[in-house]
Amino acid sequence: MKKTNFWAWLWIVLGAVYFFLPLYGTLDFSLREQRGILSLLAYQNVLNDPHFRNSFAFSATMAAATIVIGLLLIVPTAYWVHLRLPQARPIVEFITLLPFVVPAIVLVFGFIRIYSGPPLALTNSAETTNILLMFGYIVVALPYTYRSVDAGLRAIDVRTLTEAAQSLGAGWFTVLFRIIFPNLRVALLSSAFLTFAIVVGEFTLANLLNRPAFGPYMVLLGQDRAYEPAALSIMSFALTWAAIGLIQWFSRGAQGQGQLAGTR
Amino acid sequence: MAFLELTNVRKSFGQVNAVESFNLKVERGELVSFLGPSGCGKTTTLRMIAGFELPTAGSVQINGADLTYVPPNKRNVGMVFQSYALFPNMTVADNIGFGLRIAKKPAREIKPRVEEMLALIHMPGLGNRYPYQLSGGQQQRVALARALAFSPQVLLLDEPLSALDAKIRVSLRGEIRSIQQKLGITTIYVTHDQEEALSLSDRVVVMNNGHIEQVGAPFEIYNFPTTEFVAQFVGTLNTLSAQVQDVGDKRLVVDGQAIKSAHALEGARVGEKVSISIRPERISFYSEVQKVNRMECAVENIAFLGSIVRIQVRTGANVFYMDTFNNPFLELPKLGDKVQITFSAEAVLVLRQSA
Repeated sequence: MKKTNFWAWLWIVLGAVYFFLPLYGTLDFSLREQRGILSLLAYQNVLNDPHFRNSFAFSATMAAATIVIGLLLIVPTAYWVHLRLPQARPIVEFITLLPFVVPAIVLVFGFIRIYSGPPLALTNSAETTNILLMFGYIVVALPYTYRSVDAGLRAIDVRTLTEAAQSLGAGWFTVLFRIIFPNLRVALLSSAFLTFAIVVGEFTLANLLNRPAFGPYMVLLGQDRAYEPAALSIMSFALTWAAIGLIQWFSRGAQGQGQLAGTR
Repeated sequence: MAFLELTNVRKSFGQVNAVESFNLKVERGELVSFLGPSGCGKTTTLRMIAGFELPTAGSVQINGADLTYVPPNKRNVGMVFQSYALFPNMTVADNIGFGLRIAKKPAREIKPRVEEMLALIHMPGLGNRYPYQLSGGQQQRVALARALAFSPQVLLLDEPLSALDAKIRVSLRGEIRSIQQKLGITTIYVTHDQEEALSLSDRVVVMNNGHIEQVGAPFEIYNFPTTEFVAQFVGTLNTLSAQVQDVGDKRLVVDGQAIKSAHALEGARVGEKVSISIRPERISFYSEVQKVNRMECAVENIAFLGSIVRIQVRTGANVFYMDTFNNPFLELPKLGDKVQITFSAEAVLVLRQSA
């Protein structure tokens, strides 16, 4: 037993060292902008840079729009597939996996080719390009969003809850927004945090659509400066981890409730 | 005109007819049970009344209105599900008041109605709890209150007690019946539990393979089954092979022993092999009581079932059961003993085959 524990811990420690050592290297480097002492100067420079604030605000806004519009598209679709088209589930799952197979660069060139001219010349203005970018983000985040929503729907008795609500006089809109959405709270939050992390770090779509997003800013900064990109990497990493931590925190709260819930 | 009427209802899934030639009239305030084995079409029929399934043919009418193609949320029909189906994100009070809020009733009407319903299900003061904080029996009570709160014209219950343990099941079915009678609401109750159907219902619809086998009061269904399926499905039944000896005198032979039936042997010929049925509780020891039929049998097994003792006896190729009430002074035969049993001519039913 003890022997097994030793090997298990050894592999965990080796894995952690492999993972954390480069991270530590980046952190250490980001603190050495002032010669001879450790300082937060690189972080200060980043935070004081108006481009940082603008690009982050832009990406955060895009992430919020992506989350809202994406969920409004995906939740009713996944719900309908669960309720009425269970035989179509493999096809829908395949479609949602396509962003893993088709790279973002292919997607964005397709967008540019189709939406640069009539009848839908979306790339002609910043506003419509933003809309195009948001839909691009929805596609990129689709595998994660759909899976999260799908898992949430599997955890509740969608069909019976729908029928119970209908028998009480509820129409489809009421069923969706007063029964299904509230009972998918954890799944929707997980999906939202994942989407936020993806959108904030995304480079290809924003760069090729020429939008002032956070991803291209990070790359640009990396070309011009030495210590600031390392600081930015650490900040970006912390943001992603915060999002993952929040998912874990919300999921843990829901597990307790799920065990006690009696709708299955 | 009946309050709820199903006329020539048929439901097909591809090539399979789940329900066919279903005709039923239910009077206002009546509680009718659909009883049958799994897959007999009872839930499908209930779902057609609720509007969750469209009939392939036929019509569903409630209070004179044809609701065949009316969506479920416009039918004003309350439904209770086996899995309770309480909304997990809402409190008990919110669950009960959901139908009223959908109907846009003012808050001053909803609150007292919810309180009234909570009192009706003997759960006053529990309105602020969430479903996961309640036991199964309490959850099903809330589901019943929710289905009744908006005063539906018909109440549908789809195996509402199946997920509960035996003791709760018995107490809750009594409550369901008393609430139904108190409110006088027309109710359809789907179950595969014969005891539940017999104890609750004004009438029982016994179903098999998508069609109605027999409709009748519980007493009628149990004591006078018209098909072999009903006789077999409702209660415990001994089925014996017999041979017709005298059609006019209604005499039969079971393993060389002559017996008499009080029921006409319609269309039977002398020498023809038929199935007869006798309920275990209608058979007694000849030493205790003497009836017109007497047979000699060997005791094969004795099972103690609490209030009754079930004795398995054999005569020739026929093995069957007799039930006797348990009492502390009961003198039971031993295994292998030869005993004489007796039963009346009325107890012997000659069965026709199910359609």
